[in-house]
Amino acid sequence: MPTKSYNGGIVVPNLYRVESVGIITVSLPNKVVLPLNERVTDKAVPCVSVGERVLTGQVIATNKDYDSVPIHATISGQVTAIDDQLIAHKSGLKTRCITIQSDGKDEWIEQQDTIDNYLNLAPSVLINKIRQAGIVGMGGAGFPAHLKLGLLGLSNLCKTIIVNGTECEPGIMCDDALMQNYPEKIISGVEVMLHISGAERAIIAIENDKIDAHNALLQYISDERISTELIPTKYTSGSEKLLIKALLNKEIPSGGFAIDEGIVCQNVSTVSAIYDAVVDGKPLVSRIVTVTGSGVSSPDNYDVRLGSYFEHIVSLAKPSNEKHSIRMGGMMMGTDVATMSVPISKICNCIFVNNVAPKYDVKECIRCGSCNQVCPVDLLPQQLYWYSKSENTEKASDYNLLDCIECGCCSYVCPSHIPLVDYFSFAKALHRKNIEDKRRTDAARERFEYREFRLERNNKERTEMMEAKKKAIKEKMANEKGQKDKIAAAMDRVNKNKEDNAQ
Amino acid sequence: MALLLGLILGYAAIKFKVKGNPLIDQIDAILPQTQCGQCDYPGCRPYAEAIANGEAQINQCPPGGQDGVDALAELLNVETMTINDEHGETKPKRVAVVDESVCIGCTLCIQACPVDAFVGASKVMTTVIADECTGCDLCIPVCPVDCIDMVELKPTLRNFVPDIGELANAY
Repeated sequence: MPTKSYNGGIVVPNLYRVESVGIITVSLPNKVVLPLNERVTDKAVPCVSVGERVLTGQVIATNKDYDSVPIHATISGQVTAIDDQLIAHKSGLKTRCITIQSDGKDEWIEQQDTIDNYLNLAPSVLINKIRQAGIVGMGGAGFPAHLKLGLLGLSNLCKTIIVNGTECEPGIMCDDALMQNYPEKIISGVEVMLHISGAERAIIAIENDKIDAHNALLQYISDERISTELIPTKYTSGSEKLLIKALLNKEIPSGGFAIDEGIVCQNVSTVSAIYDAVVDGKPLVSRIVTVTGSGVSSPDNYDVRLGSYFEHIVSLAKPSNEKHSIRMGGMMMGTDVATMSVPISKICNCIFVNNVAPKYDVKECIRCGSCNQVCPVDLLPQQLYWYSKSENTEKASDYNLLDCIECGCCSYVCPSHIPLVDYFSFAKALHRKNIEDKRRTDAARERFEYREFRLERNNKERTEMMEAKKKAIKEKMANEKGQKDKIAAAMDRVNKNKEDNAQ
Repeated sequence: MALLLGLILGYAAIKFKVKGNPLIDQIDAILPQTQCGQCDYPGCRPYAEAIANGEAQINQCPPGGQDGVDALAELLNVETMTINDEHGETKPKRVAVVDESVCIGCTLCIQACPVDAFVGASKVMTTVIADECTGCDLCIPVCPVDCIDMVELKPTLRNFVPDIGELANAY
């Protein structure tokens, strides 16, 4: 019998409960801003130019790289700029974005043929459809959905599909809303994934505080391969490896992937988007976003076009007149952003709007060890803290810093209010930078040494060649001298003969 | 017995003989590999050799900065010293960028570059492989038409490192 849990983790009370979980469809925004790099590693190239009119769902930027997805216009209108804009990222850096001004018509591109029966199509065709629809993991990581499924089109690696409906971060309720309002889409999406992967079963995991969502899904399950599982409400259950541990009691080792154990994990929002892409032929142009926090009086879920500014939906949730701090994502793992004038991305599941509260004073670590107990991935945050603070990334990675999932449980329980998780995300970034710097210096050293070697070799070859040439000329000269002698001797003989004849 | 141990030691001495000077490698590993020659040696490795032989001070490398001097002092177990600014100032990381409309294809930069980061040929446009450029400035003085600019590398979403200076105060 699986334990249905894992070590550590914390129970965080949800301060912003609502009576019923609904979805409000938001009016079209005046403009959308769509970043070209959905993930930091990829860079799409625009295939429209400023001034061009685009339709909803039209591809406006493409990626040659199979690992990344194309970018679609999310409204119809005119492209007004392709320039650097602020996005919701902790660095506060700008990145290249395409801005579209709405014409208010929301005219769609000609829909691709809707498929009556996807069962007749090969998995590779469906996977390509999913890629073309621009679907990435919508739970927060933004990993392209076709890559998780892509491997499966070629082999029968996948035995189990886990559909992640845990939504463990307190306050967020967009997945709950989706499950309650569109259960049939999720179940059909799971059936599509079962067809693509050839998996034996699919488990939909839901935390036991979302009974309504669970019941809604149960009504539509007719395929016996699909089952649901209620797991205890505990924060960080939504993390892929922990969810696998809880459901199947299997541990994915450090550096390993779920697929090594024959498991593919997808968020419910992603599954619903896969349904839209495969069955309706619709690209991903909108998502459900929760707006909550102490700064709004009516927390709710909004179905909003991607690329709309945060303020477009925050204003609908009746924000208070106080000064706010804005956070993209949940209260635990989210990212603070400086302004509400940043676009909603595919991974933005929640916007936290909090009234600015006085900050805690950070005290010294008292070595209580609470952080060690709550760490869900069994690390030693206290030890990592010393090394991260002193920028000793080598030692920190010996203590498996890179396995930290940055869930923030350690910061939450720390009685000294040390922002441990911020230290770890700093140390991880520093570690990556150090590795990159080392790669560059090593490359420079190698190129310098090779250049020295090459110059020396060229010099040597040159002198050798010069010497060989000199030698050849000398020999030729010597030969020529012999030739002259022969001619002279011949001439002598001729002259002598002439003289003899004359006599 | 003594003969046996002697043979083992003799064999070990040959078998595990360290090739080259490990100290030079260790010093070279700390140096930034800019290959700029500001230390008065023709590259980082020659400078490392000079330090190992006691011919050069440890504070002659501007790209390595004060951190580099401190790291060298720790490695060599000597008192650290302040960086000698006669050799040049420490600048942030930069890369060379060629204004391709001005370039005449003289190839002088190609010959000057210590890490072969230039691509080009005689009388055609030249360009820089940004990823290989160490920002050493050696191409700047040789360019007859001044078409090379040094551009500071800005942090990107990918290599951004957050600041922890503020974390210790309030949260």
